Amino acid sequence: METSKPARRRDTEDRRREGLESKVEGFNERGRKAVRDRKLHDSISLFTNKTLTGRNAQLGAHPDAPELRERAYRTKQETMANLDYYLSQMADAIEERGGNVFFADDGEDVVRYVGDLARRCGAKILAKSKSMATEEIELNHRLEEDYADLGLEIVETDLGEWIAQLAGETPSHIVGPILHMNKERITEILSGVSDEDLPPDVESLAAFARKRLREKFLNADIGITGANFGVAETGTICTVTNEGNARLVTSVPPVHVVVMGIEKVIPKFEDLSTFVQLLSRSGTGQKITVYTNFITGPRGEGELDGAEEFHLILMDNGRSKLLGTEYEEALYCIRCGSCLNVCPVYRQTGGHAYGSTYSGPIGAVITPLLKGDKEAKDLPYASSLCGACTETCPVGIPLHDLLLKLRNRQVEEGMAGRAESLMFKGFERTMKSPVAYKAGAKVGRLMQKPFAKDGSIEGAPGIRGWTDFRELAPLAEKSFRELWKEGI
Amino acid sequence: MADRTKFLESIRHRTRRGRYKPTKSPDSVWTPGVDRPGREEIEDPPARFIEELEALGGHGERAESLEEARDYVLDLAREREAELLVRWDVGYLDELAADEPLREAGVEVALWRDLPGLREIAARADIGLSTGTWAIAETGSLVLEHGPGRGRSVTLLPPTYVAILPADRVLRAVPEAIQKYARGTLPANVCFHTGPSRSGDIEMSLVVGMHGPGDVHVILIG
Repeated sequence: METSKPARRRDTEDRRREGLESKVEGFNERGRKAVRDRKLHDSISLFTNKTLTGRNAQLGAHPDAPELRERAYRTKQETMANLDYYLSQMADAIEERGGNVFFADDGEDVVRYVGDLARRCGAKILAKSKSMATEEIELNHRLEEDYADLGLEIVETDLGEWIAQLAGETPSHIVGPILHMNKERITEILSGVSDEDLPPDVESLAAFARKRLREKFLNADIGITGANFGVAETGTICTVTNEGNARLVTSVPPVHVVVMGIEKVIPKFEDLSTFVQLLSRSGTGQKITVYTNFITGPRGEGELDGAEEFHLILMDNGRSKLLGTEYEEALYCIRCGSCLNVCPVYRQTGGHAYGSTYSGPIGAVITPLLKGDKEAKDLPYASSLCGACTETCPVGIPLHDLLLKLRNRQVEEGMAGRAESLMFKGFERTMKSPVAYKAGAKVGRLMQKPFAKDGSIEGAPGIRGWTDFRELAPLAEKSFRELWKEGI
Repeated sequence: MADRTKFLESIRHRTRRGRYKPTKSPDSVWTPGVDRPGREEIEDPPARFIEELEALGGHGERAESLEEARDYVLDLAREREAELLVRWDVGYLDELAADEPLREAGVEVALWRDLPGLREIAARADIGLSTGTWAIAETGSLVLEHGPGRGRSVTLLPPTYVAILPADRVLRAVPEAIQKYARGTLPANVCFHTGPSRSGDIEMSLVVGMHGPGDVHVILIG
């Protein structure tokens, strides 16, 4: 049914008074601000529309797409069920190739390992390739703080990440870190680190970045990357980039450190075939990225470039808590960003509204799981549960089901408001007893009178959070039972 | 600091915990429909490779012989006004015999050997020249295997990059290429290199040659 009622907007203060809004700024406040930002909207549409068009063309044209997705899901399922085995196999394979493996329980372990390594190497410049795992633990910031005496210069080398780093911002999308910035803003940021004002054209801006970053690549003491995939059988680390930065930071500096989440492991080299085909098609709409790079340990005998020292850090940081639970599928994610692109909520608010490293549907799922419900209380509600995320996911994670489960979990943990709990308890009682049901209907009919207008309920206290944005039909004058008694 | 045994033991314990097996319902979008595209046969892999590479802004060329490829390299060096070319130290490029003619044309040629300042040479070079182990028709990718004499920097640092390989090394699709490395010992670095380095980070505008070469040429021989 078409509805004609215009949604009334009320400001945050209103809602706060009614106790619907928490005191600290959460998704709702940040999201509300973002929704009004026209420039942000344009930037998000530009990125998501273009990427989705490419994604649909590439996956739609791939004859094996459904099988690939099924295989990806099964492969991840098998890996998670035996994760200890595959991690152990991977560690052995890397040690056999002369690499070092470190098991990190959390971000602190990673920071300490990298910091100590930098100290031992006498490193000054650390060149980094875009990595969500290191964003998650704020590696750059923590190293600069905890190892201030080393005077480390940590440089992001992905164009977008570097600009975000200069601006002191976090990435707003897994794949397009600065999709929220327009050219004018980027010109401002880059001119700030240049001796001269840069012209606001993309070529000049990129040329400036290229020159600056080239110096860093050539003089870096340590290269740091994440891992798109890690192969248990061979110890191979696969990274995909278009710019070539991951390939540079693994080819030029003498030391290479990989920070990899434990869920990134896949059993065999052949399995890369499934995942490489899905990742770029789904993430950027490309058949394959420009550089799909496979690194297996330190440089070989007689080689003149590539890292002489190789370190793999296998990071847990809350992931293992999900194993064997109904949330395990959240670990199957390959970080393609497609669920962000299709999400009607993300497309309105952008990534920063989520207030977490990972945004969009996958961010709303894994942030409370990794950091705890209290840290990200409102994220499971940052969804319309339309299911577009589940539909687009190249590895078949039932994202919207997981969001619903998380909401349920919050209620069970007693995190729902008192009023809401009381209301639903009352509802439960009423629905369970025929007497209460009959009485309830009568009371309801009386109570709705002042609020029922044009076939819908408006402005009734306690349920305005619902009725302001959705249609709630009033109870009928006579119930079906009553009509039945009267012989209809 | 986490101890390996303890770390893995705790993971083992957790994987066995619930044995939760989700039931997945079929997903209509991903379930094959009747109008699903058929498996495409790539009739002529080298032709398809060139087509794909050109679509990405690279240059693909089919040459009858190594002599023809040598002329291509010479012309390109002249066109780019190159002063320094760095190349892999491999037999196939010795056979190409381009070093002397290049030097005569005023282009310095450096081989990827244990020389002092090798990295600086590669960083200063105008052109990098290598072979490729395989190529992939479906994606326009070059498969690079690195090792002694086969430096990674040669394919990365110079703004122009040329690769030469026999046309019968062109495979059909990505799985075939991955299969080649599924058995036996892997080189420390294998790379699927597909067209010019690019970035779309600024307003989705295409920037070519972001960190790697923006000018990519692949010559298929035979």
